[in-house]
Amino acid sequence: MAEAIHKKLQSELEKYQQMQKDVSKSMSSRQKLEAQLTENNIVKEELALLDSQNTVYKLIGPVLVKQDLDEAKATVSKRLEYINGEIQRYESLLKEMERKSEQHREVLSSLQQEYQRAQGQAVGKFQKGKKKI
Amino acid sequence: MTYLHDQMASTGKVKRSKDLPQGAERLKEEHRKVVKDCRSQIEHWNKVEKDYESLQDRLRTLPDKLSYDIMVPFGPLAFMPGKLVHTNELTVLLGDNWFAKCSAKQADTLVEHRKKHVKNALDDLQKVMKNFQNKDDFTDDLEKLAGDTEDFVDIREEVINEEEFTKGKRLAHKPNSKPKQEYLSDLEEDTEKKEGDEERTTGLLSEEELWARLDELECEEELQDERYRHAVRINTGKNTTLKFSERNEQKVQAKRKKKSGKSNGLSPHESYKITSPADIYRVFVDLVNGEPIPRKSILKSRSRENSVCSDTSESSTADFEERRAAFGRSWSHDDATHSDTSDGITEEESPTGTSPRTNGRFEAFTGTVIEKEPLPCSIPYLTIAPPALPTIPERKLEEVGPEALQEPPKRMSKFKATRLHQT
Repeated sequence: MAEAIHKKLQSELEKYQQMQKDVSKSMSSRQKLEAQLTENNIVKEELALLDSQNTVYKLIGPVLVKQDLDEAKATVSKRLEYINGEIQRYESLLKEMERKSEQHREVLSSLQQEYQRAQGQAVGKFQKGKKKI
Repeated sequence: MTYLHDQMASTGKVKRSKDLPQGAERLKEEHRKVVKDCRSQIEHWNKVEKDYESLQDRLRTLPDKLSYDIMVPFGPLAFMPGKLVHTNELTVLLGDNWFAKCSAKQADTLVEHRKKHVKNALDDLQKVMKNFQNKDDFTDDLEKLAGDTEDFVDIREEVINEEEFTKGKRLAHKPNSKPKQEYLSDLEEDTEKKEGDEERTTGLLSEEELWARLDELECEEELQDERYRHAVRINTGKNTTLKFSERNEQKVQAKRKKKSGKSNGLSPHESYKITSPADIYRVFVDLVNGEPIPRKSILKSRSRENSVCSDTSESSTADFEERRAAFGRSWSHDDATHSDTSDGITEEESPTGTSPRTNGRFEAFTGTVIEKEPLPCSIPYLTIAPPALPTIPERKLEEVGPEALQEPPKRMSKFKATRLHQT
């Protein structure tokens, strides 16, 4: 009985750890997006400072491609919107993941308790020394 | 922060537990980490700012010459002499793989704009650092406060008996009760009443004695009442105020309040002392066929000569002054019939109260004492205004006094009777 619970516990634990990893991944990508957001904002402002006499280039691979100033401005704005959208998506994803991981945590704790009880019953007088996560 | 507070709140005693320093330690560690991070970031941004500034310098001096002779880096290991030309044409990286060709001056503007961003970041970091520094200091103080120094001790008392906070019987708003005056006496009273009162162990013996004395006084006052057959119940919450300097008298009132109040009573030794408007009534008795009858109103009088309307002559006012002097010679204590609400008549037990002082007191009281509950007998309206008081010759006073004393004691005042019926 205790063994079965133990196995279940292990599997749940792994699942939980996986969840945590996913959460952290989403977090980091969201942070990246944040950085891009600020960068694009700066680009937008600096493009505003320039006038049409300056040529604007875009680096595509090893090539600097000439761009129109207005086109560049439009492109940057579009990119900004895109980034904002992505951030929102990641936000919701993150929330969802948090919720799931919370559920998982509860399951884990209950399983742990069961396991401890089972162990206690099985062993009897031994102290329950299972390390809590 | 809350963590620490919760810890401190969980125990009810002065804490010396292990949790507190541990928690505080951890908190401080976290604080310090954040502060360190902030510091490193601030350093980084400072460096960036410096770089931008040197860049700006370079930009300003670059267009000075048409071309510069420089050593051009060739690969990672070699340099080659060369020339720097088109000194005003710059390709600026705007970010996110965007480039723009601009002049040195335009580049300068761009750099300025970037520096603004850097400054913002720096300010934010500074704020955060200061914040966390303050938090750190605060936890230090907190630790010291609740920790093991002798100077600061978290004073906590264990509340054993909740009844201590309640006042037991609410005596304030019953008729014939004086809330403020009775406060002191109430304290003692209430502590006696409460059960499980831990703290009032001292002075119990003396209280017993006091109760005995109270009983004595009460008997005396009852006698007095019967003699005068006057009971004035002055409504609580109105303008009469009485203060008693002696605790004994307060006890009397307290006891009386316990027994649901009584009428006024004068201590036997102070027959002519007036300490309350009620005492005035007592004095204003008519003698009819040798018996003192309570007058319906002190403004009215049986004899026409003595009647006084509101516009009295000077003689009446003079008489009034005389009377005041007579009355004010000594004060007696009144019963629990007055509430101490305003600065009306204040009475003190000073047997030699000087008449100017009493006069002043009388004059100070300009309120109206109105009885709340109408009783079958007359309800005198007492409005003390200097010209309005009737003139009662002192002769009458003297008459009343000795005669009152000789009255049969069995007559009970109507007020008291009704009150006793009610309760």
